[in-house]
Amino acid sequence: MHVITDNLSLYRDGLVTTLRICLYSGLLALLLGTIMAACRVSPLTPLRAVGTSWVTVFRNSPLLVVLFFMAFGLPELGINGTYFVFGTIGLALYTSAFVCEAIRSGINAVPPGQAEAARSVGLGFGQTLSLIVLPQAVRSVIPPLGSVMIAMIKNSAIVGAFGVGGDLFSVGENLTSAQGEAALPVLIGVMLGYLIITIPAGLLLGIVERKVAIAR
Amino acid sequence: MRSRKPRAVAAALAATLGLVLTACGSGSTNQLGSGGQDSFQAPVAENPSFEPGTTMAKLSKQGSITVGTKFDQPLFGLKGLDGTMQGFDIEIARIIAGQLGIPADKINWVKTPSKSREAYIEQDRVDMVVATYTINDKRAQRVSFAGPYYNAGQDLMVKKDNTEITGPESLRKTGAKVCSARGSTPSEEIKKYIDPANLVLFDVYSKCADALRTGQVDAVTTDNVILLGLVNESGGKFKLVGKPFTEEPYGVGITKGDTEFCQFIHQSLTKAAQNGTYQKAWEATAGKVSEENPKLPELNTCS
Amino acid sequence: MTEVSTDTPMIRLSAVDKYFGALHVLRDIDLEVPRGQVVVVLGPSGSGKSTLCRVINRLEPVDSGSIALDGVPLPAEGRALAELRADVGMVFQQFNLFAHKSILDNVTLGPIKVRKSGKAAARDEAMQLLERVGIADQADKYPAQLSGGQQQRAAIARALAMRPKVMLFDEPTSALDPEMVNEVLDVMTGLAADGMTMLVVSHEMGFARRAAHRVLFMADGEVAEDSVPEDFFQAPATDRAKDFLGKILTH
Repeated sequence: MHVITDNLSLYRDGLVTTLRICLYSGLLALLLGTIMAACRVSPLTPLRAVGTSWVTVFRNSPLLVVLFFMAFGLPELGINGTYFVFGTIGLALYTSAFVCEAIRSGINAVPPGQAEAARSVGLGFGQTLSLIVLPQAVRSVIPPLGSVMIAMIKNSAIVGAFGVGGDLFSVGENLTSAQGEAALPVLIGVMLGYLIITIPAGLLLGIVERKVAIAR
Repeated sequence: MRSRKPRAVAAALAATLGLVLTACGSGSTNQLGSGGQDSFQAPVAENPSFEPGTTMAKLSKQGSITVGTKFDQPLFGLKGLDGTMQGFDIEIARIIAGQLGIPADKINWVKTPSKSREAYIEQDRVDMVVATYTINDKRAQRVSFAGPYYNAGQDLMVKKDNTEITGPESLRKTGAKVCSARGSTPSEEIKKYIDPANLVLFDVYSKCADALRTGQVDAVTTDNVILLGLVNESGGKFKLVGKPFTEEPYGVGITKGDTEFCQFIHQSLTKAAQNGTYQKAWEATAGKVSEENPKLPELNTCS
Repeated sequence: MTEVSTDTPMIRLSAVDKYFGALHVLRDIDLEVPRGQVVVVLGPSGSGKSTLCRVINRLEPVDSGSIALDGVPLPAEGRALAELRADVGMVFQQFNLFAHKSILDNVTLGPIKVRKSGKAAARDEAMQLLERVGIADQADKYPAQLSGGQQQRAAIARALAMRPKVMLFDEPTSALDPEMVNEVLDVMTGLAADGMTMLVVSHEMGFARRAAHRVLFMADGEVAEDSVPEDFFQAPATDRAKDFLGKILTH
């Protein structure tokens, strides 16, 4: 296990890169997912179509394909950018479809009378959603959203393979192939790195869930 | 994918012709063309004699040899779609086999990717490995190396029209993005010359080549040998900068401590260098793309 | 809203048809409710009376026909519809108070977000309304902490906070325990006395006799009877109405 202690700084840098990918992707996915969920429950048919197509495309495409498109498809179309941006956006697009469905299921769990009452008071669609439905949906959305986010953190390992590098998983690859370290202890270190992110993330979600529950 | 250019065919024919003229007394029984246009005929010794009990005696007697090599490295070790083996490593193996009296068609080729080369030798699944195999101390703890038979080195590949990148020192001042393979030794080496932020890593070099083509990166770096293969595939879009900045001595991997076999390989290589076979082998393979004209490097002592 | 003459009906439905799939729930309804009138809508379950109430502020869109409120035709989905709904108070059978907001916030939400009233002004007015319906002391509680009767009175206060032209009540006492029915009906009676235009879907005979100007009896998606309360309760014209009254009175 000396591999881990000897290369602590490498692991730390990997952890930071993975965290950065996850933070940006996570925020973008939440934003896009919420917008798409709003589209999916909108009274306007074109918006519903946009939301449905979005989910259909990104939920049903392997992440690998989405990332491939970002890293190799976009440059082919003349769109150049850093692989970090490509990878982060790709992961966010993919994750946003799952965020959208988690939020939509939460919206559906709010009794329809709440939205009817809001509309009767004269609130528009956006106000009804943001002031009345979403705050009540949050509680039932947190657990599935937590699973989506933790899956995203683990999926970030794939982003590293698309030119980004330097993330936790890439650090592991580097130690095993370039420096010829034995795979098992290196991978245990990588796993610990992911657990350092995912376990506190899970705990945080639990706290948020309890907080939201009290607020009701 | 790999188009045969007339020039390449001509070179191959010239090499073959040259060999036929010079390889007198070799007693080759190989039929021409069996190995494709690339293949030239390494001389095969007739009834060579070896001291009983040696690896050479055993192999010579059984009349066949199992060689580990790359199957996916153009110009060095590549298994063609028609199943024929092509490349400089292949020819080196054929030269050695020939000196054991084993003709090319009695060589069993085994695919040995980088990760598994030591294991294959240790487990006696191959008699030797000729697979762009860099000699280093760590590996030498598990296997013995004969050679080196070629000094590869890390180089840069750029677009044909690039004049800014002239060597590793020019990378930092041009702010160039450089692509290499994740977890590879070259990817570590290049960090001496560029900011880590400008290093792009992929699992395979073909992705680096794609990134170079679409302008995502400005250069690709790894051993010149691998780059040559990519240049060859690029259809004239890429070129090698041609200033290797590391030394990667390629050796023939054999069972740890088999000094006699090592010495025999050295004799075979020396002989091939002296009679021109070594140069012919190069010209028929990597020489078709590379402008380099290598000489057999100074051989290590067998131990 | 622009000036309208006083004889424009507050609610007007013309040739309204509504289907739920194959079910024809409203059949060619024509109805005018003048300003200040209190209408009680009765009828057996499935007669379309709730739907009648819900189409008026377009919680249910109609399939054909037209609806006008204070002379203004109901707009399609969008900002104009939201503005129009702000003028129509709606009280639901299940109260539908916003579960994540306090009673006070339930009442001030509309004035602040829709009417753009100042927070302090909205709060003062809300407290007056809560006083009026008798639950000012519950202002800081959440809906789930209140009894059904208190919740329904809060819901009425929420609707009144928008200063509506019309109040629609969709079975406002049906989900209440019997002892809480009167506290809600008293509030409604008070409203009627103040001259509010009201359409009340309810089986409360007492309220109908006491406060209603007009009774509609619905059956099979049609208005079967349209009369004043005394006439309807003493001498219903149709057999359906007689049958219905017989059932609820013996019950």
